[in-house]
Amino acid sequence: MTVMQQGGAVPGAGGGSGNLYDVLELVLDRGLVIDAFVRVSLVGIEIAKIDARVVVASVDTYLRFAEACNRLDLESGRKAPAQLSDVMEKTAEGGAKGKSKGALTGAVEAFTDSLTGGREEEPEKRPARDREHRSQSRSHERGEERRSTENGN
Amino acid sequence: MAVYVYAITGESHPLRLDDLTGVRGPDDHLRVVRGDSLRAVVGEAPEEIKPDLAGINAHHAVQERLCEDGATLPLSFGFVADDEDAVRTVLEQRGEQFAQRLEEIGDRVEFNVKGTQDEETVLRHILEESEPARRLNEATRNGGGTYEQRIELGEVVANEVQARQQAVAESVLAALRPRARSERLSDPSQQYFVNVSYLVDRDHAEEFRKATEGLMKDRPDGVELRVRGPLPPYSFV
Repeated sequence: MTVMQQGGAVPGAGGGSGNLYDVLELVLDRGLVIDAFVRVSLVGIEIAKIDARVVVASVDTYLRFAEACNRLDLESGRKAPAQLSDVMEKTAEGGAKGKSKGALTGAVEAFTDSLTGGREEEPEKRPARDREHRSQSRSHERGEERRSTENGN
Repeated sequence: MAVYVYAITGESHPLRLDDLTGVRGPDDHLRVVRGDSLRAVVGEAPEEIKPDLAGINAHHAVQERLCEDGATLPLSFGFVADDEDAVRTVLEQRGEQFAQRLEEIGDRVEFNVKGTQDEETVLRHILEESEPARRLNEATRNGGGTYEQRIELGEVVANEVQARQQAVAESVLAALRPRARSERLSDPSQQYFVNVSYLVDRDHAEEFRKATEGLMKDRPDGVELRVRGPLPPYSFV
């Protein structure tokens, strides 16, 4: 299986234009960093970034794309828009909230959770490789589930 | 007393702080710590800083004001120094570095452009336009077809999605890059197939914005481009 990783400096949240969500990543993740000062813990903010890592070319992604295509009712007009990232999101991170919502909503929720302390503390700046492993192993599990369901049909 | 540090400016910055409030709320007035040739804008540090929306908003509003008035190095959210002396020490010890960055920033602002794509729209287009995708989709609908066919369909579609997004991303980058002094491109993510920040001369900000509006007119069905700016140059300090 070819696994292609995308990710990196990725937004913590998104939202409609004209509000703060689009600039959250800039305020939280960029800007001048002065290591002589103490920085407040940004617990939870990291979660949104983990969610944002994408395994594009995996069996699991393929199956989900196939499922999404199969589901499309090509005869009728467009239904309510969904984010492309819905597919990606389920693939990349099983535990993420907002699975059945637009990715943006999910991310905002993840962020909001962090504000209310609704999530467990995540180690700050977990190395990227760890996240990849996490995403991939979850993807595998989910892929297995999908297959067994389909075989059962 | 511990201070929350917002930004660093040069000595010529007007530092209009009177009507600004800090992360602690409406009564959180800001003040200036003076180094030799640099200034830091600080406020009393909250007992506990939470990255809540009100706080982040306040932090951002301070940066917006300061950047409107002159070259500013906006700190990332959430930095606290032991006291004003600690801030002064940093201003002095790293004065040269900060001064150089202030000069690089000069009278420039940041624009951030994010692209999202509606899933259903792009999948419909792919099924309309790709014969293999259409054939495989027909074969695998309603539980038909083999596991291998489903994988193949997904692979065809995933590659198409990626190619289409890449094409849009490249056209966005090609259109905006020549109008900017500097570019900072994030890797594509599940949320944004393109996410890029530009450092733009303030004098050219309006032109830049118009260029982004032109891109929005040309964008493919289902693609949304969200442009924010002018912003404090968070990505370029």
